[in-house]
Amino acid sequence: MSAYQRPASVAEAVAILRDTPGAIVLAGGTDLVIDRRLGRVDPDAPLVDVSAIDELAGVRWDGDVLHVGAATAISDIERDPGIISRAPALSEAARVLGSVQIRNMATLGGNLCNASPAADMTPPLLAHDAVVVVYGPDGVREQAVISLFTGPRGTSLAAGELVVGTRLRIPARSGSCYVRQTVRWAMDLAGVGAAAWVLAGGAGSDAPIEAARVALGAVAPTAVLVPGVDHLLVGHPLSAERLAAVREAASAACAPISDVRGTAEYRRHVAGVLAARALSIAHARATGVWPGGPAPVNGRISSAGVGQHRAHRGQRDTTDASARPGTLA
Amino acid sequence: MRVSLNVNGDTVQTYVEPRDTLLSVLREQLHLTGTKWGCLTGDCGACTVILDGRSVVSCLQTVGQLDGASVTTVEGIAGRGQVMNDLQEAFVAHGAAQCGFCTPGMVVAAEQLLRDGVEPSEAAIREGLAGNLCRCTGYSKIIDAVLSVARSRDPR
Repeated sequence: MSAYQRPASVAEAVAILRDTPGAIVLAGGTDLVIDRRLGRVDPDAPLVDVSAIDELAGVRWDGDVLHVGAATAISDIERDPGIISRAPALSEAARVLGSVQIRNMATLGGNLCNASPAADMTPPLLAHDAVVVVYGPDGVREQAVISLFTGPRGTSLAAGELVVGTRLRIPARSGSCYVRQTVRWAMDLAGVGAAAWVLAGGAGSDAPIEAARVALGAVAPTAVLVPGVDHLLVGHPLSAERLAAVREAASAACAPISDVRGTAEYRRHVAGVLAARALSIAHARATGVWPGGPAPVNGRISSAGVGQHRAHRGQRDTTDASARPGTLA
Repeated sequence: MRVSLNVNGDTVQTYVEPRDTLLSVLREQLHLTGTKWGCLTGDCGACTVILDGRSVVSCLQTVGQLDGASVTTVEGIAGRGQVMNDLQEAFVAHGAAQCGFCTPGMVVAAEQLLRDGVEPSEAAIREGLAGNLCRCTGYSKIIDAVLSVARSRDPR
């Protein structure tokens, strides 16, 4: 069996994966090339390069259902006008992932299947209740994105299976948001990432919430959906008390580690702050009161004053951010 | 495997190990050493090239994916017969280099930003060049150089 194959269709790729034990899927290569060089994966493992499969790449709308192919570049998600207006948590996560160069190479499927707990694309997909579409030796199946992850770098995919894309339903009067905290402004992994999705019962800031989800990254062995958010919010407008309750629930949902990006205690606190911020921006979008434009990049408020974060960017200016909904600090 | 690449306007056919990186092919087979061998983890941007109209880090780009692709390296940024283009001249005029190791990647990444019509503001250019590290200049002169060209190419 050849050490490198470049199939032109999903069917061909799945056949190769079935017949090639130990094969690794290559898409954008931004994780895999490093992992091979550093010996984190077997450098002699056969590679199945899926970058030539046209049907794997691209963004497609089918009514209010959004399909994003697994080989879609992160930069294409960042710039897609439909995603920016209707699923902004995804474009906001795409915008802060890596650098321009990395976003041009890295793919949605790669970010998911690499299964880093800090992957930026995961919390938005969880908040949007996305499913992944998986092809394998037994045909096609779908599963919730949340059930894809079994631990750091671990997925529930069986041998020979290939993620071909994700699917999200974007109903009217829904809104979403992704914010994160990083130590550096750019080229950093999330210390904490938070995404929220809200379905509103009407327009205006007093509109009751019909459904809501909050998801967190980098605070547990896998990304997590905060439990109980529906119970706290459904049927009510978004009051300061309810935001505070979600903030507590988000902190309680964390099982963080301490590392160079923050202590466990700090992450737990920031997760609550960012969850509340993402939720109130998502709510403002769902109810039509958001003034437009993206959420403040990189958890601008929460990490202000934490020191030494100016590398490669100008002085932090929190004025704009402080005026936005959801700023608790 | 054999791949056919367009590199800086010339068609090049070469035999490659498909899992090798574009960076190693550019430097070791094609002897285009302007593209720098830096961190090899995609963090520093010194190996930035333009691939089919998008900037990428060539240290993470496997070459087996590139049959038929067009690559522009720093050697091809200026037009034929030109020594430097306006961006490169702006780097000189602004003193936007010290040790110079990051400069080719900076120039290539900035050139693609300009071609993409980056907003002529400091914030947009800093965000666009966030994947290119410079450990000497403190970035100010680099940003000034790119900003001057963004304004002169697009006097909006």
